[in-house]
Amino acid sequence: MRCKKAKELISPYIDGELSEGERESFESHMKDCGNCRSEFEETRNVHNLFAGAERFSATYGFSTRVLANLETKTRRNGLFVPLFARFAGVVAVLMIIGIGIVSGRFIGRSFSFQKPGNIAAFFSLDTFNATPPDSVGGVYLAMTEVNNDK
Amino acid sequence: MVNANKADDLSLIKRFKASDASAFDEIILKYQDRIYNVCRYMLGNAQDAEDAAQDTFIKAYRNLRNFRPDSSLYTWLYRIAVNTCLDYKKRPFFASIYRGARGDDEVMNELPSDDPSPERIYESKQTCHVLRMSLKQLSEKFRTVLILKEIEGLSYEEIAEVLDISIGIVKSRISRAREELKQQLKKFMEQK
Repeated sequence: MRCKKAKELISPYIDGELSEGERESFESHMKDCGNCRSEFEETRNVHNLFAGAERFSATYGFSTRVLANLETKTRRNGLFVPLFARFAGVVAVLMIIGIGIVSGRFIGRSFSFQKPGNIAAFFSLDTFNATPPDSVGGVYLAMTEVNNDK
Repeated sequence: MVNANKADDLSLIKRFKASDASAFDEIILKYQDRIYNVCRYMLGNAQDAEDAAQDTFIKAYRNLRNFRPDSSLYTWLYRIAVNTCLDYKKRPFFASIYRGARGDDEVMNELPSDDPSPERIYESKQTCHVLRMSLKQLSEKFRTVLILKEIEGLSYEEIAEVLDISIGIVKSRISRAREELKQQLKKFMEQK
């Protein structure tokens, strides 16, 4: 076995992932090659460091919290709710406000509003003409005025 | 042993699909430590690990009905956990030990030890500290394979299943990851 191949097999050998034949060839090479043996020992030392690494456990009550979260999320959302659907209410309100603003501007342009000071006068009863000249009332008034003059 | 475990898992899944509420509870109890541990190593702090582990089981619950029995339950859970942790890291305000938001004190304080000797405890803490500092310097893909292999003890075949890569790529990544970790450890020791 060449050194290049042997170095590729260092990690699988340490991890017990070599076949019987590969293992025998590898071990035979290690006996004969000091350079590869040195690299093998360095890698094995790195592997051995992990033997002392801490193993964490889930905190007390973990499964209870998972089940509680499942219930909360199922009650709130039913099945999985797409992200956009959660903001649908906000989007709807914003759209209504936007439509209102656009409609208001459109309506404002349709009416030729006078200056704010004249708005009161515009809607005042004094300017409200219940009997326009071309109406029945207007003709009647005109006739009565003529009769009065006579 | 492996076959007995797989049979046990299939039985739990069958009960879950038959709407047995206690089945999922048993699944959580069986795998919560392993899932929490891998999340802890990937994210670097207890709070994020708790959230990610919770999300893992919630996702598992939603998708367990579609689980195919040709793969193993725990590699499926690991895959969800790894992907969940990777998603967490993409979040803009993710604060983990890997960005230095929290120091290693949290880990040092939690280190369990059965040896009453203060010197041994100190040495052990130092080793863990050096290991964690060196691990965090690795790229995501190298750190992930080392966590699955060295911390979780998965086989190459299982790691390939979790990460959805070939066994050849697993072998290559583990070799390169260990080589890089070796270099990081040397650098760290030289700085001291």
